[in-house]
Amino acid sequence: MSDYKTLSCAEVSVGDKLGAVDVDITTGLVVCGALATRDFEPVHHNKAEAQAIGMPDVFMNILTSQGLMTRYATDWSGPEAVVKSIDLQLGAPNVPGMVMTMTGEVTAIDADTGVVDVAVAGENNIWGMHMQGTVQLALPREA
Amino acid sequence: MNADEQKAFEEEIYAFVGREVCPPTPAPDDVNMAMIRQWAEVLGETNPAYLDPAWAQQSARGKTIAPPAMMYVWGQEGFAATRGRAPNAQVDLVETFNRYGYTGVLGTNVKQEYVKEVGPGDNVSMQMVIDNISERKTTSRGTGYFFETLATFTDQAGEVVGTQRFKVLKFIPQEQPAAASSDDGGLEVPTRIASPRGQDNGWWWDAVDEGKVLIQRCKSCQTLRHPPRPMCGECQSMEWDSIESSLDGEVLSYTCLRHPAIPGYPKDPICAVIKLGEGTNIVSNLVGCEYEDVQIGMRVKGKIEQVDEKTLLPQFYPA
Amino acid sequence: MVANVKDKAVIVGVHNTRFTKNSGVSELNLAAQAVKGAIDDAGLKPTDIDGFATFTMDSNDEIEVARAVGTGDMTFWGRSHYGGGAATGSLHQAVMAVSTGMAECVAVFRALNGRSGHRFSDGVSGDIMTADAIHWGWYMPYGLLTPASWVAMFTQRWMHLTGITKDALFEVAHATREYAVNNPNAFFHGRHFDREEYDNARTIADPLQLFDCCQESDGASCVIVTTPERARDLKQPGVAVRGVAQAAAADQEQMTSFYREEFAGIPEMEIAAKNCYEMSGLTPDDIDAAVIYDAFSPIVLWQLEAWNFCGFGESGDFVLDGAMRPDGRLPTNTHGGQLSEAYIHGVNGIVEAARLVRGTSLNQPNKPVNHALVTSGVGIPTGGALLGKLDG
Repeated sequence: MSDYKTLSCAEVSVGDKLGAVDVDITTGLVVCGALATRDFEPVHHNKAEAQAIGMPDVFMNILTSQGLMTRYATDWSGPEAVVKSIDLQLGAPNVPGMVMTMTGEVTAIDADTGVVDVAVAGENNIWGMHMQGTVQLALPREA
Repeated sequence: MNADEQKAFEEEIYAFVGREVCPPTPAPDDVNMAMIRQWAEVLGETNPAYLDPAWAQQSARGKTIAPPAMMYVWGQEGFAATRGRAPNAQVDLVETFNRYGYTGVLGTNVKQEYVKEVGPGDNVSMQMVIDNISERKTTSRGTGYFFETLATFTDQAGEVVGTQRFKVLKFIPQEQPAAASSDDGGLEVPTRIASPRGQDNGWWWDAVDEGKVLIQRCKSCQTLRHPPRPMCGECQSMEWDSIESSLDGEVLSYTCLRHPAIPGYPKDPICAVIKLGEGTNIVSNLVGCEYEDVQIGMRVKGKIEQVDEKTLLPQFYPA
Repeated sequence: MVANVKDKAVIVGVHNTRFTKNSGVSELNLAAQAVKGAIDDAGLKPTDIDGFATFTMDSNDEIEVARAVGTGDMTFWGRSHYGGGAATGSLHQAVMAVSTGMAECVAVFRALNGRSGHRFSDGVSGDIMTADAIHWGWYMPYGLLTPASWVAMFTQRWMHLTGITKDALFEVAHATREYAVNNPNAFFHGRHFDREEYDNARTIADPLQLFDCCQESDGASCVIVTTPERARDLKQPGVAVRGVAQAAAADQEQMTSFYREEFAGIPEMEIAAKNCYEMSGLTPDDIDAAVIYDAFSPIVLWQLEAWNFCGFGESGDFVLDGAMRPDGRLPTNTHGGQLSEAYIHGVNGIVEAARLVRGTSLNQPNKPVNHALVTSGVGIPTGGALLGKLDG
């Protein structure tokens, strides 16, 4: 059970950087992400429908982006962290063939509540910023 | 639209503010491990708080929870969405915008706040209202209005689980609606930069399109040459034919192109100078291996591959 | 047998504009400033200029520069091709014109908005269909698009064969940076750096990292070349061209000569060096300081070998012994080089080489510089020049 470590509030500092993670945007991830989030909008699984609205291919739905953003934050923090909020601004679509690089940085720590603000950005290598925003995590006060 | 029409239009849309998109509606399925596991598999999520009941039992929470980002998932409409959305206040609002030419749509912000963690066996209800509509704004996409929905999620005991604010821009597209595609350069996925095909090299690239890598050969002295050129540098003959390479090779040098990122190319592509078994050198990509594993002198084997929608190229793998 | 134009042409005026990341003015504006500044430095009048030499890559037509500056009737214009290979190539054009009497006062210039305008690091695009584009076509589809990527390919193999490590690349970057620290017109004026900062900088194309790469810059540089007779009447001490040469070697490509029996080398520069030494009667022992084209750190090392300051594979030890430093065997890139002053396609290097011989280099080491070497970019058809004191 000790395999999983969770950062404590005392262990993080404003300015700490999260390691960059590359996410390959595949047709599988886009389509299966849409289905796993029960988002059956045709533009997320049907290329012809996506092209009909001017997109080159199916594109990632927002619920998948939200999932990737929280996963990135809790992969860093460990499983005892409680996600308090995610606030994200949407940018360029993620389309199969792209690679989205996720980066993050601790921007605020509330020592009273243990809530840590992590600024997260997901930038794809073709069109640039896919999403950027903040994940708030409540961390244990001490290890 | 003249001023009166504009006023009437705005009255019509602002009347939607406060209207309920859906009343509190329980999700068709309770929070359950099957949907959690499927979601986690696709997203690459390994958090034991969601996936490992034994770990979760002894954790500070003492129970398994659902990923917070699934909060909206539980009440999703499902496959019916493929046949269009049932009418509701949001659908009506969108259609009103469309009728006045504000046909563009762009989700710009979504914020979820989580008040309470839910787990398998809980049921999530959602209520949604149209919370606010901005005044008319000029944006880089065109003139339009932002509207924001507010969804409130509760559990079976009526306690608030969380909220979601979703902001959407409805705008008059600056170009024709179909203009999103290649013409304005905006939304076409770039492909690799192709070689121009001229008289001295076009035949070589045409062969690649047919799945072959050829090496030019002087008909007079049999010397092989690459890249192709019109005259033999050894005997000055302009007569030539070609042989097909077996694409067995050896790495002479290599580099990984890390910065700047190049639109249309894979991230951090590895390029190499490869000495082919036939004796000539060729520049290509090394794939199927990490940069750290590449060495000068390494044996490689090539094949023609489709690397993007428009491009066929020789690519080399560790032999 | 090389043609001999030893001491038949003299650099009499030099000037750099301010080097910036965004000049806010046209490239023609920069060219005019550089040319006028060099004319003033020489004590000449604009109407004395009757010839121009620059790069085929320069966007400024000679007649436009002539009208802007108000120079005299023009009897010579000549351009040199192959990117930075034209640095001393444009000087070569001027020397040929002056030594043959085709012109008397030639302005050698290069002006570019290399940061705010077209950036070389953006890579080649293949948008323009030329024979050159067909050449790039063998590399573009694979992503081998930028100068850093081409140089990286040579560097990886050269390091593999010689065992030379990043220690030597860092020494090149660090030595030039320390010179730039004292140079108010250098991008890195006042900014020291250390190995940690160097190692932590992003990788551009393995094994090259950020500080192995030059500064993309806006600016212009100019030198005025005239006859020895005229030079003796002017206000600055003349800097004579003892030797100048251009060279391309067998199986030469532009930055991608990957098809030679062994491509970890720059045989074209060995030819230019041999011819310069022969023309001037000088040997490496006679050279007191150098400005060696440094678009990327490793290319300085290759050139030290090509000019015979050390043997193949010995340049690492040569620089790690402090050779490039102010009191070293061969103070090199004393303005900060293109790694740390500015990238003006090597013509700022000719300005610095002339200043070294005049004794006005800001980082002039405490010994007389009788002869200075200046070189062009490598990996391409290239060249170099040996400068010395007129009548010295």
